[in-house]
Amino acid sequence: MALSGCLAVIVLALAFNNPQFADFVLRLTIFGSYALSLNLLIGYTGLVSFGHAMFFGFGAYAFGLLMQTERVSIPLAFAASIAGAAVLAVSIGALCIRLKDIYFGILTLAFQMLLHAVILSWVSVTGGDQGLQGGIPRPPFFGVDLSHPKQFFVLACVIFFGLVLLVRQIVESPFGYSLRMVRDNPERALALGLAVQRYKLAAFVISGTIAANAGIMMSLYVSGAYPNFAYWTLSGDGILMIMLGGMTVFLGPIVGAGIFLLLNGIITRTTEYSGLVMGIVLLSVVLGLRRGVLDFVVERCGNLGRAALFTRRIEL
Amino acid sequence: MKKVSKLGASRREFLKSAAATAAFAAVGGLARSARGQSKEVIKIGQPTILSGRVARLGESSRNGAQLAIDGFNAAGGLNGRMLQLVTRDSKGRPDEAARVVRELINTDKCSIILDSEASSAAFAVQEVIRQTGTLCMHACSETTSLTADPKIRAANAFRCARQDIHDSIAGGQYAAQFVKQQGLKRWMICSPDYAYGRDVSALFFHFLKQNAPSVEVVSETWPKLFAPDYTENITKILQVKPQALYSALYGGDLVTFIDQGNLYGLFEQLTLFDPNMADYTTLEAVKKLPKGIHSGDRYLSTFPATKANADWAAEYQKKFNVPPINWSWQNYVGMTFIIEAMKKTGSVDSKTLADAIRGMTIDSPFGADGKITMRTEDQTIINYAIGWGVIIPNAPYLENIEPANWNVILELEKDWKKKKGYI
Amino acid sequence: MNLPALLDCVSSSSCVVTQVSTGLIIGMLLFLVASGLTLIFGVLGVINFTHGSFYMLGAYFALTAYRVSGSYFEAVIVRALGVAVFGVVFERLFISSVYNSNVLMQLLVCYAFILILDDVVKIVWGTDFQTMGMPSTFALPPIHLFGGFVPPFYVFLTGLTVAAAVGLSVLVNKTRFGKLVRAAAVNRQMLACLGVNTSLLYGAVFGLGSLLAGAAGALAAPVRSMSPEMGFSILIESFIVTVIGGMGSIIGAFFAAVLVGIIRAVGSIGYPLFTDGLMFAFMALVLLVKPTGLFGRKLA
Repeated sequence: MALSGCLAVIVLALAFNNPQFADFVLRLTIFGSYALSLNLLIGYTGLVSFGHAMFFGFGAYAFGLLMQTERVSIPLAFAASIAGAAVLAVSIGALCIRLKDIYFGILTLAFQMLLHAVILSWVSVTGGDQGLQGGIPRPPFFGVDLSHPKQFFVLACVIFFGLVLLVRQIVESPFGYSLRMVRDNPERALALGLAVQRYKLAAFVISGTIAANAGIMMSLYVSGAYPNFAYWTLSGDGILMIMLGGMTVFLGPIVGAGIFLLLNGIITRTTEYSGLVMGIVLLSVVLGLRRGVLDFVVERCGNLGRAALFTRRIEL
Repeated sequence: MKKVSKLGASRREFLKSAAATAAFAAVGGLARSARGQSKEVIKIGQPTILSGRVARLGESSRNGAQLAIDGFNAAGGLNGRMLQLVTRDSKGRPDEAARVVRELINTDKCSIILDSEASSAAFAVQEVIRQTGTLCMHACSETTSLTADPKIRAANAFRCARQDIHDSIAGGQYAAQFVKQQGLKRWMICSPDYAYGRDVSALFFHFLKQNAPSVEVVSETWPKLFAPDYTENITKILQVKPQALYSALYGGDLVTFIDQGNLYGLFEQLTLFDPNMADYTTLEAVKKLPKGIHSGDRYLSTFPATKANADWAAEYQKKFNVPPINWSWQNYVGMTFIIEAMKKTGSVDSKTLADAIRGMTIDSPFGADGKITMRTEDQTIINYAIGWGVIIPNAPYLENIEPANWNVILELEKDWKKKKGYI
Repeated sequence: MNLPALLDCVSSSSCVVTQVSTGLIIGMLLFLVASGLTLIFGVLGVINFTHGSFYMLGAYFALTAYRVSGSYFEAVIVRALGVAVFGVVFERLFISSVYNSNVLMQLLVCYAFILILDDVVKIVWGTDFQTMGMPSTFALPPIHLFGGFVPPFYVFLTGLTVAAAVGLSVLVNKTRFGKLVRAAAVNRQMLACLGVNTSLLYGAVFGLGSLLAGAAGALAAPVRSMSPEMGFSILIESFIVTVIGGMGSIIGAFFAAVLVGIIRAVGSIGYPLFTDGLMFAFMALVLLVKPTGLFGRKLA
């Protein structure tokens, strides 16, 4: 943990001098926390969700709409959006966890596309396909003024590290180990007296609210909210990120997000045929490595990295 | 157990810092190389759509801008400094567009942004350049609110594209005479269900009804944008039996709609008004063009019927092997404004250029009277050529063209803005 | 929401007839694509997300073939077969290596291919939308049917699709090949032990599924314009159909396709701005009530 603290200081120092790097780190905090939350669901609990973007989109729109009323302060809007996302997660989660295997995933996808359709049709509120226009106001609060890029950057990093620590606590706690049991052997868990459905719902809600938080940060970053925040491509991107980075290592999703962002940036800078190149790269990783980058690295590095409970291969 | 996991943690931390360092090195390296190049060259960043269904928007925008830039560079550039266009694909996603613009400004050191994004991404770009203060010329977005709404407008952002409202006023005026001549009272709308489709359709009828109050919109149908199939819309239209149909469909969608409509003999039963039919790619793709479609001109080399326009089209065709379309001329003129401002002020500074562009009038083959003006109060172009006519199957494709009356357009636009609370 | 219009329509018989026939027409093409998807899932256990791209390839191949040969029928048949061949190759080389991996791997492989194929199409045929135009055989005036108009081309399409549905049912239920296919769906290893070349069988099934998608694309080509990424919307719609009908059930796909077609037709009158939402809501409903779909069996 001390090391990560040092890393944070290094990152901040560097970012202050290079706006492009700061942009990259900002986007990494957004997509990194999004991917981390998704892996909590898929990697640790074994619930493969295809509709995770619904929380990201919900967070962005809820926060954006509240701020555009110009009557709400940022912390209040933040809290209200997170609370709203939690309510959404509980209601949808309760319905989805009743289904098993791939049907769970498909139902999450259905709900997400339903939310997307609502966003597109409710033009008077959401602006329809053009999203929230005119920018998101940022009134200062507690002496913090988010319209200054540096302050926003610091806040984003602080929140990100806080979330990483939080998720780390969760997965290392008895609750986290129960999730793993739910993933690997739900019948046994049930026999041991675990309320399996409640654990699944809890995981769903926690990951949903973290994803909503990522959505809020995104809406602040681009000063708007757009329908593709709740589109299936973002859910797909999330899955891509965790697979690229590795689902069995805690930091895998974050590394995966970083790789994804880097790839995307490099490919769009160098070629017009971004689909072709990205597709070939993906194929090589999937068919070549057959697991995420960190999974691969950890496995190669042998015993040193291996704590049996985290790095066991996940069977889905 | 504890000992092993601690080692495991530090290994992971090491990996994370290694990854981060690699990332920084990569990005830093890229930034350094970009910085080295920008000494002499003036870079114009162009976020646009180069993939997917509207890829031709990006292609034509790039071509139009490049044509203007090549002409300027051939004449010596800005005191020997050449212009360089840096085009990048945002795939039409607003958050990606925002990222691309940031990258163009920060990493590629572009001094000016030529925003060739469609309307939703244009709003995202607007927010970025509002923050950075970079000069931005929107060359593709037709949404009126981008410049009309004072809350969205920015001092360093201009628009060089046709506007929904201008098109609709012109269309409404034109259609009104046919309402009287042919008694077209019962109308129906079939437009794509997104902001452009809704806005331009609503505006058209707002202005049509002002001139011809007997017009009644008896029904509407709103296919999804890029829908492959219009059967349910067509059968609904057949049931309602309107006398006239207004549609804001364009490009491939319009072609599909006409092809599928022909199967039902739809166009023998009503008169179609569509502002987007007169576009070379669309006209060449429709296999069986029904008679008597009324259309506004997106771009035609024969309207305005001047030598300057025809010459420009020929030059474009020769250079790029495809005919120019709407976005081609808009980007060309957008670049022209920037170039003229550079020539006038000798500067590349965003604020200086913005002050010069505001209120500027340039000579242009696409002007209604040979000139186009960048209006001061809302920083968008006026007096560009708009005309409506009847579509015919062969070149020049549009006949009986009636150019729009700009005095009327400006007056009605002002009234409408007052009603909306924009002024 | 436009309830009065909806009620108006329900009470008028010509409107009902038109909407139902509209629903049928929309549904037919959807069924062709969805049947391939459901077949592949039912037997191979793979959700072929690349299915939409096969549809797109079928359309583009047909376009080129038609331009070269001038004959629509040859274009459709030959090119649909071309897509089928492509499908088999795709399956052998890529999908087979992820059969036993988790669904996310399969998803990634398919997603990668969607990206690649979209760009390949862009490179070969260009970014502008392309059209084929109605071949002269079908350039006939619409037929009057029960007070509504039906274009002859759609009659042909409907007839062909119904024939395909019947043919597929017969193939799966009555022939030896069908027996093998159904057996493979239940227990592949056992079948292999019995001496059947399951790799070949799997390849054939995948080829059949791609054939259906490619044929749908080729058949629809005269009435639709083509552009890169045209596979997306048909993929989503056929996915909805497959889920509602039941993954693995051909009959289910047929009924679900017609149902979705009718929802769209009715939706365009009553809820013009929310038709998509309606479809997803219905899909969610089916999943909640009977996850395996209206006609799906419980997978072993």
